[in-house]
Amino acid sequence: MKNITYIFIVTFLFISGSCTDNFVELNENPSQIDDESLKQDFNNVGAFYPPMLKNLFGDQIEHNLSHDSWVRHLATPTVFVGGINNTTYYITWNTYWNRIYDQIMSPAAQVTKVAQAEDYPVFVEWAKLIKVLGMHRLTAYHGPVIYTKFGQEPATYDSEPVLYNAFFTQLDEVQAVFAANQDYTGLGKFDASYGGSIPQWQKLINSVRLRLAMRLSKVDPALAQLQGEKAISDPAGLITTNTDNFLISLYGGIFPPYRISFGWGDTRMSASMESILVGYKDARISKFFDPATDDTLYPDHPDFPYKGIRNGAELVAKGDRLTYSNISSDFENVENRRFFTAAETHFLLAEAALRGWAGSGNAQDNYEMGVSLSFEDWGAGSAAAYLADNTSTPINYDDPKASGAVNDFVSRITSTVAWDEAADNEAKLEKIITQKWIDGYTNSIEAWVDHRRTDYPKLPFNYKNDSNAEWGIIPADGFLRRQVFVQSQRENNAASVAEATSFLGGPDEIGTRLWWDTGGPNF
Amino acid sequence: MTKKLLVILALVLGSYPILAQDKTVSGTITDASDGSPLPGVNVLVQGTTSGSQTDFDGNYTIDASEGDVLVFSFLGMKSQSVTVGSSNTINVSMEEDASQLDEVVVTALGIKRKEKTLTYAQQTVGGDELTNTRDVNFVNSISGKAAGVEIRKSSSGPGGSTKIQIRGSKSLSGDSSPLFVIDGIPMVNNRGGQPGVWNGVDQGDGLSQLNPDDIESMSILKGANAAILYGSQGANGVVVITTKSGKQGTATVQVNSGITFESVIETPELQFRYGAEGGAKESWSYTKGDYGDNYVEEYFDTGEQYFNSVSVSGGNEKTQAYFSFANTTATGITPGNKYGKNNLTFKQSTKLFNDKVKVTSNIILAQEKTDGRNRAGYYNNPLTGLYWFPRNLPFYKYKDNYKIFDAARNLDVMNWDEVIGGPDHLQSNPYWLLNEESQEDKTNRVITSLNIEYDITEHFKFQVRGNYDYAVKEFDTQRRAGGNTTTVAANGNWLYEKYDDTSTYLDGILTYNNTFGDFNITALGGATYQKTVFADGVRVNPPAAQNQLAYANEFNFNNLLGPPVQIESSPLLDRREKQSMFANVTFGYKEMLFLDLAGRNDWASTLALTGNDSYFYPSVGLTVILSEMFSMPEAISFAKIRGSFASVGNEVPYNRIFPRHKINADKSVDFNTTRPFTDAKPEIIRTSELGLDMRFFQNRLGIDFTYYDINSQDQFIEIGQPFEDYTSFFVNAGEITNKGVEITLTGKPIVGEDFNWSTAINYSRNKNTIVELHPDTQEIGQGGSEGVRVRLVEGGAASDIYGFKFQRDDQGRIILDDVSGRPLKTGERELLGNAEPDYILGWSNTLNYKNFGLNMQINGKFGGIVVSQTEALLDGYGVSERSAVARDRGYENINAVQNGSAVTQIDPFTYYDAVGGRNGIDEAHTYDRTSIRLAQLALSYNFKISQWEWLKNSSVSLIGNNLFYFYKDAPYDPELSQATGRNDAGIDNFNLPSTRTIGLNLNLTF
Repeated sequence: MKNITYIFIVTFLFISGSCTDNFVELNENPSQIDDESLKQDFNNVGAFYPPMLKNLFGDQIEHNLSHDSWVRHLATPTVFVGGINNTTYYITWNTYWNRIYDQIMSPAAQVTKVAQAEDYPVFVEWAKLIKVLGMHRLTAYHGPVIYTKFGQEPATYDSEPVLYNAFFTQLDEVQAVFAANQDYTGLGKFDASYGGSIPQWQKLINSVRLRLAMRLSKVDPALAQLQGEKAISDPAGLITTNTDNFLISLYGGIFPPYRISFGWGDTRMSASMESILVGYKDARISKFFDPATDDTLYPDHPDFPYKGIRNGAELVAKGDRLTYSNISSDFENVENRRFFTAAETHFLLAEAALRGWAGSGNAQDNYEMGVSLSFEDWGAGSAAAYLADNTSTPINYDDPKASGAVNDFVSRITSTVAWDEAADNEAKLEKIITQKWIDGYTNSIEAWVDHRRTDYPKLPFNYKNDSNAEWGIIPADGFLRRQVFVQSQRENNAASVAEATSFLGGPDEIGTRLWWDTGGPNF
Repeated sequence: MTKKLLVILALVLGSYPILAQDKTVSGTITDASDGSPLPGVNVLVQGTTSGSQTDFDGNYTIDASEGDVLVFSFLGMKSQSVTVGSSNTINVSMEEDASQLDEVVVTALGIKRKEKTLTYAQQTVGGDELTNTRDVNFVNSISGKAAGVEIRKSSSGPGGSTKIQIRGSKSLSGDSSPLFVIDGIPMVNNRGGQPGVWNGVDQGDGLSQLNPDDIESMSILKGANAAILYGSQGANGVVVITTKSGKQGTATVQVNSGITFESVIETPELQFRYGAEGGAKESWSYTKGDYGDNYVEEYFDTGEQYFNSVSVSGGNEKTQAYFSFANTTATGITPGNKYGKNNLTFKQSTKLFNDKVKVTSNIILAQEKTDGRNRAGYYNNPLTGLYWFPRNLPFYKYKDNYKIFDAARNLDVMNWDEVIGGPDHLQSNPYWLLNEESQEDKTNRVITSLNIEYDITEHFKFQVRGNYDYAVKEFDTQRRAGGNTTTVAANGNWLYEKYDDTSTYLDGILTYNNTFGDFNITALGGATYQKTVFADGVRVNPPAAQNQLAYANEFNFNNLLGPPVQIESSPLLDRREKQSMFANVTFGYKEMLFLDLAGRNDWASTLALTGNDSYFYPSVGLTVILSEMFSMPEAISFAKIRGSFASVGNEVPYNRIFPRHKINADKSVDFNTTRPFTDAKPEIIRTSELGLDMRFFQNRLGIDFTYYDINSQDQFIEIGQPFEDYTSFFVNAGEITNKGVEITLTGKPIVGEDFNWSTAINYSRNKNTIVELHPDTQEIGQGGSEGVRVRLVEGGAASDIYGFKFQRDDQGRIILDDVSGRPLKTGERELLGNAEPDYILGWSNTLNYKNFGLNMQINGKFGGIVVSQTEALLDGYGVSERSAVARDRGYENINAVQNGSAVTQIDPFTYYDAVGGRNGIDEAHTYDRTSIRLAQLALSYNFKISQWEWLKNSSVSLIGNNLFYFYKDAPYDPELSQATGRNDAGIDNFNLPSTRTIGLNLNLTF
């Protein structure tokens, strides 16, 4: 009997205790793809890039309900969270940070190691460039961000001067490697923007350098000029024609503002777009927006059947303003979106000319070329008559769905489109930035930067301002200056956030100006 | 571990008692009440020290001479003496001794033990207590019947899930649900998805698939001490379900037939006299009108539930069988909510090879289908539109014409937008949702098991068990074109999930039992293997507001548009394997001292690659039966103290150690950004408990007291903070403690011929403390709603609810805004309270008078808070009755201060607009969770009709559940839960109202 028992036990132990070799495999998710499998077709390197590029843009709460509203491009008819939200200066959403770190910074750090190990120097630099593309947008929200110390313990923030210097240095590094590999075709399969053309990417590098330089034109004019002139003089050139435009593929997805406008009914033309485009009789209006579906809304400009919503408006019910202008239904089938246009380059060069940067050319030529390229890019025909118009000015706004003066405003813009060479630099800058603001439609981060940096265009203030001590107070005649640091960082990385706040030179609030937003004169 | 086990085995195998007498007498000792074998009965030759004990099947052998007197004794039974005659077989049927109360209970792994030997707390609930009130979800009926068990039921209606927690929350990442075990084998109780603040529906759990009539009893092993033999799965306590078996003797047929009606106890207090002005969707007019007030009440149906079951059992000496079939058909209070369930059970056992081998097999089939389960949260929930409807508008117009024809598309669309001036993502026409947005859940499940027991010798028994549990689940939601544009695209939306849950379990246990004079030893050692694969299947997940279907209202795979429509592997997939070895030794001395030692080693696949996938943990326990040790005053019939300590390792969740990358809907790769956690350790839960069990006056009065202290460490915490190349990482850190007491008082105040009254009071109190989190994390979120957050914070407790309070001055007066006069809210969220009750009381009573019986259960929960987003929004929309009372009066009373001067009256709109809505002041809608209710009442009549000999004991009863509240603070039932998982505890966001059920049950036995 004893023997039988022993046999039973030993057998059982042998069967059950024998094998834990399958544990690793079992703990994996078979629907996930692993590094080994990604090596096929070189996806272990290349597959990182499309999602990184795609995630340079956020969605509804990151853009549409944030700076699309703060810079008055689009406005919401929806009474979100009881009408008190980001658009009325009470922070309810603050998520672009997570997208940039999860979808760009972390994958870029990972792919850099793989590309280094497998000796793909162009991919290493490409990842670096995409990091700059992502982070120069994120710093426009928060100011100091975790960049050069990403991956270190503790992950501390860079002050903005450190950050911009790092951007410039890294653009140098990328440009050097790209210049040495102009015939490299390896990016092609993973590059929906330029089909792997290195010379095209080189133009983007110079153009972004020029954009960054201009951000610093007030706070550090010497550095700005140095970097700006470097961008202008680089042999690879700038994005100067619409065929050079840097576009981000939607990878088969829907254009997010189209979904927000038509799918959810959560965004419409802004009152400022109505005021400026109608006032200037701008032909791009029909490319940007659909006509309002209620023809009683625009008695003051029946020839321009468009209606916008004031940003930071007093709203009662969402249904009140759904008949206002949607974004253009042409966006339903677009396959990509604008990140950097030739028009922007020319507006940058126009401002550079005002600032006397070498090689920037003539301000008027650049200004007019910028407007013409923008018309061409948007398919709005010739800009000749538009550029000659020295009488039309933006119109005042009336909200037909609100009683009395509620939501109405008087336009503060008295400038016209036509260039006036006799005018002072300030007047010229206003024209340049106002046109740059129009061209930045659907890509509003830089317009938001410009507005904070130069105070142009002269946009209306919020009608409804719910800012309070919790996130910082915005005066009735002021604008939101930045996005606060994210909650998870405030909680999990408090010491670093405190240091970052000291870099800001003010409290971690929405009214604190960023480094390049000096509040001082433009010239 | 293997070595240790073998050493123990060698020890017990090596020693053998040697006694010499004339002949060997053997037999079986059974329990007279149900014929089941009694293990551990002492058999003694009178006047000698020669003794023996029955084995697990009640069999004994003893050497004795003819004429000797054998004394059979067993605590709780009347001792019997039998003189040895010529026969070598003496079978004894022992009767319960009313003067002693000591039960044989089912403990871990299905092992029967005498309750008095247990070193830890355990409580048993009989099968009738689960069925006598016919709750569709039978576990809900144990509420209040076992101390330390906290139950919250889902508000989603029949077939909904249940949240069960024993001795508090023990993990920062898990939901601390106990393990359910059927006949010793772990059962899959996989909870489906849970609704959140925005939307979703309760997808049920695995318990509702059982037939409550198949349950003989349920034992609740509360601490890790009790559960160590189940390993980490048992760390949160174990509920051991013992199912009915066939019994030797004539065949018995039982028929149970029940019908119950479920009705709404209370809807929120709504006003119907002030309408909306200027086309607003909020009813904030100050002009009284005469508006319809019936439609909310009319919306809810009376739910009906029909329950029928039949069971046949019987057998001979060698083979017994049990068969049952049950059908449940129910409708809920939400129109169109239907629930149907069929259960089939077949269990048989056969003895082979001279009764040395017993083979038991069991097959359980279950089929469950639910239509139109109510949704919670804002989206696609009929209750938002129903409650908010502007009072001045004609509701019936929209009820009767919930759809209108859209000529441009040649299809019907929802008729609601004009009510609210255009689409509103938070509300829809309730009747459109009921009729045009169908929702169907289906589960088909089979559980099969085989158990082979082999009595190797008198002292050794070997048992092998296997179980295979397979369930197919399907969730199908079809939203027709023309619905709410936020959640429904132009051609409609299809949400579909179909997946399998499988579990394979194998174990082998060798048991040794022997007595050496005053010493008794029971030792067991074994090994288990378990592999579970949950949610292996596919899901169709529509992209937000993007057309997913090519043709309107065709909900099938052929009609799905191309990328980026999401057809994906189920994101709930969970695969794990665990292998274990364990040993347990109990030493007994003279029925008065018991020492329990146990150890277990697990190998867990979820910890693969860490080097920590093998981990060992021990437990030790001691029981002293004082009443056996010392002579006690006559009033004390039994006294025992017990103490135990256990440590249990808890594995980490599936696929956390080294997750790979996900392929997105647009076919790009979503690279993993969580740092691989290759140095993870198992979480460790240490439990100490001390108990006292005393019975007085011939067991007429009993008290059972337990104190426990549970310490959970090395918690698995995710920290959302860039580290290395990643944006979040995991750590083993943190410490949570649960300390508490459980007291059960039992009494038989009246014991008589015709009239009996027995009563029990269960009291428990648990104090949960989050001692420590990780230095890099100040809080861990556990869900929330709008301003409200459930947070784990150092120094706080699990289920702490934070929200905005009123700003008050130092006199406690509410501060009003200088200009607008609106009450101001605090800048930061503050602690509102904790969702868990301070203490729980349950009072059970059973009264019998002749053939009449009365069962009554009163449950009380004291302390804790709940927060209602529903009430906040009703205030914001001006539809709460209190907002109308204030308008009638012209003002709302307030103790406030504005610009330094006291304010006692405030404009109703100013007040309710500030405190209500989505941005309101949560303090105003925070309620005490305390409630005392008549939870169950059953009046039964037992009858036997003398002319009908074939009819045995039968009964008819009148039953009621949740009949009324003796006390309640919240304007709704605080025990109903929106979600039964870990998150959103204590938050209500448009849940179904609370209900009572009343019905009849007929039980016939043939």
